Amino acid sequence: MRMRILSVLLTLFMAQNVLAAGSRYVMRVDGMACPFCAYGIEKKLGAIDGVQNVDVDLGKSRVTVDVTEGTTLGEEQMKKLFEDAGFSYRGMSVDQR
Amino acid sequence: MLRRLLLLTLFTGVAGPLAAAPITFNTALPVATGEFVFREQGVLLQSGNDPGPADRDRSERTAVTALGYGLARRLALFGVLPYRSIRLKLSSGDRRLNRNSEGIGDLRLFGRYTLWQANRPGRTLRFAPFFGVEAPTGEDRERDGQGTLPPAAQPGSGSWDPFAGAVVTFQTLRYQIDAQLAYQDNRKANDFEAGDLARLDASLQYRLWPGSLGGGVPDYLYGVIESNLFYRRKDRVAGLSDRNSGGSQWFLSPGLQYVTRRWIVEAAAQIPVWQDLNGTALENDYILRAGVRVNF
Repeated sequence: MRMRILSVLLTLFMAQNVLAAGSRYVMRVDGMACPFCAYGIEKKLGAIDGVQNVDVDLGKSRVTVDVTEGTTLGEEQMKKLFEDAGFSYRGMSVDQR
Repeated sequence: MLRRLLLLTLFTGVAGPLAAAPITFNTALPVATGEFVFREQGVLLQSGNDPGPADRDRSERTAVTALGYGLARRLALFGVLPYRSIRLKLSSGDRRLNRNSEGIGDLRLFGRYTLWQANRPGRTLRFAPFFGVEAPTGEDRERDGQGTLPPAAQPGSGSWDPFAGAVVTFQTLRYQIDAQLAYQDNRKANDFEAGDLARLDASLQYRLWPGSLGGGVPDYLYGVIESNLFYRRKDRVAGLSDRNSGGSQWFLSPGLQYVTRRWIVEAAAQIPVWQDLNGTALENDYILRAGVRVNF
């Protein structure tokens, strides 16, 4: 019985941590082809409050952004950001981490 | 007589800056809005084999500093400032003279506007005209024991020289192709007007390493081959055309470029494969370039 309670508490604790960890945005971006150009994207995304991690995948034309709970990234915001960096934003999906 | 050498010095100031670009000229790749990119390039230019009696030998070492700024989504501004050290040896009668100078050269300021672009997954095609001016920031009345140095040994031209051109870039994950057409209208200063310069450049950068892309943003090692075709009109001295100046030159420039997210190191040798210069105009032996670019 004690083990079951501990297990339930542990599960609840982990679930809370996952929710508190925020969201993961996966964006499709066209025009990225070299490392030196990708830096502008990382810098601009990294400057947004709540962004925890930015991962650019050149080969897949994909940018993954992890944000804290309560932080949201909008379509128009991302379109402007990527165009300012010289690239074309095509869309995104979002998942809870 | 020595003034016809002046145009040789133009080579050191015209290398385009920034982005993952060709080593000897410009690119149409973007500078992110509100961001800076910096480039420092060392250039060694050697000219000899004088067909004339003066047996001229000219060498120049230049540190070219370039800064680019993304002013708007499609507009980037650039400044390029050379620091030049020029050594000119020549014979006059029985004497061998050294005519040397050192100092900052002429500042090139220009804007580049991305007129058209097409982005696809892992590739981009861009077309960008540019326009600017070479300002007379370098000393153009330097003197030594023999008097005022000839234009070929002066760090600056003394004139405001506008230039314009256009560059097209096609970049994929495997390779990059750039091509540029540019023209510089050289103006008169100190009773000397260097011949206008037209140039046509092309570059192929091919990713040698890594052979295939994994995830993330890997470093690239590019093999580079560039082509530079120059045509210069004759200089004018005191209003008269100098028949021993101007002409055409074609260079091929093999090189290497190592590219990361934050910096690039690169080197290339510009080798003259064809030179058709007028009269006794001095040909180039070679031009060596090595540099670094930094995103910040």
